[in-house]
Amino acid sequence: MKAKSVIVFSLTMVVVTTAGFRMHDQENPWPVPDKFTNMKNPVKPDEESLKTGKALWLKHCQSCHGKSGLGDGSKAAQLKTDPGNFSVAAFQKQTDGAIFYKTSEGKDDMPSFRKKIPDQDDIWSVVNFVRTLKK
Amino acid sequence: MLFILLPAAALFAQDTTAIETPEAREGEAVEENTAAAKKYVKNTFESIWLIDNQTVMVPIKGTFEMDILHRFGTIDNGYKDFYGLFASSNIRLGFNYSPTGRLMTGLAITKSNMTWEGYVKYAILTQTRGNEYPVSLTWYSNMAVETRLKENYAHASDRFSYFHQLLIARKINDRISVQVAPSLTHMNFVYGQFVDTSVEKSGKIRERKHDHLAVSVAGRFRIKEGMHIIANYDQPITQHKTGNPHPNLSLGLEVTTSAHAFQIFMGNYYFITPQRNNYYNQNNYRDQQFVIGFNITRLWNF
Repeated sequence: MKAKSVIVFSLTMVVVTTAGFRMHDQENPWPVPDKFTNMKNPVKPDEESLKTGKALWLKHCQSCHGKSGLGDGSKAAQLKTDPGNFSVAAFQKQTDGAIFYKTSEGKDDMPSFRKKIPDQDDIWSVVNFVRTLKK
Repeated sequence: MLFILLPAAALFAQDTTAIETPEAREGEAVEENTAAAKKYVKNTFESIWLIDNQTVMVPIKGTFEMDILHRFGTIDNGYKDFYGLFASSNIRLGFNYSPTGRLMTGLAITKSNMTWEGYVKYAILTQTRGNEYPVSLTWYSNMAVETRLKENYAHASDRFSYFHQLLIARKINDRISVQVAPSLTHMNFVYGQFVDTSVEKSGKIRERKHDHLAVSVAGRFRIKEGMHIIANYDQPITQHKTGNPHPNLSLGLEVTTSAHAFQIFMGNYYFITPQRNNYYNQNNYRDQQFVIGFNITRLWNF
């Protein structure tokens, strides 16, 4: 009986928590201008680009998004907004342009990297690296 | 040294991952197709500091930076003052801003002799991927003024000193960067210059020159992303009659994040103000007169 209660409680918490994130996402959608959604990635995801993207990811993104983009970075617990899970299809279905826009402009806890990473090709390289986080 | 190092570095030259366009360096819009643009090597070093010397790096346009530099006492007293950590320490607080991607200006105060510094750094050339420019070339100059009580100075001009340095660096590959930096120090007032009419008609014995040349050789080795071994050696060149400064040998670890750089190291320089380090250092590495120190930098982008 006790075990059953624990299972029910755990499942309830999972549902509530997941719903909470979903509600948060729904309440705070991140609209991307069409110009960016349809923008083509000018940087090929070759070895050099992925190396650049990975280096920038480890320097600027890892602390919140985690080494593998699971949203489990060392600062993640202090954030008011969910850093997301970049390995799942829900994230990966976005266009390169949408990821570029969000990285470049930022929103809420997500800082803008337009000035910190002034070369746009470098941000595209981050986008290329983010694609490798898909599971 | 320079002529040996630079050709050797060129032999190991290769493209690096860290590149940028001149348009981006100035923070302007970059066209989608940048393939034809000149590609500059980026992140030759991760900070404007490499232990006691500046690096060729100038923060990107619109960056405001705060630096906290700390040097403890020498370790040679052992446990008595816990290897210098409980001895009298020297501290420098600095603030700088980059109005363009090539220029940095700043102001700092150092505890030792209450020394204020105003400084400028200008990136003359930046190393390119295609070896059009095999090295990065940056100029650094400062003017320092000591602000202790006037009883400490015979003339107001005695408070002033100047330091100029040409920084030449090459990012050899993703792991290794090296820098050679000749410098010129000018001290308006020097210790060891006093009146002794029995020796010279003029009454002045100039035991030390006002101008002092030195050269720094520094490098970093990347252990992994955001973590580097850093090393620096400063060699005095000008010889004075007395009180010649000792060289500085230093080694440390650098950890960097998106907006911070933290360097912890051991070396011989205590004064932090570069002209005083180069001119007055009496800590000798042969006598194990090392000090533990750290540099912390924090960046904000506007």
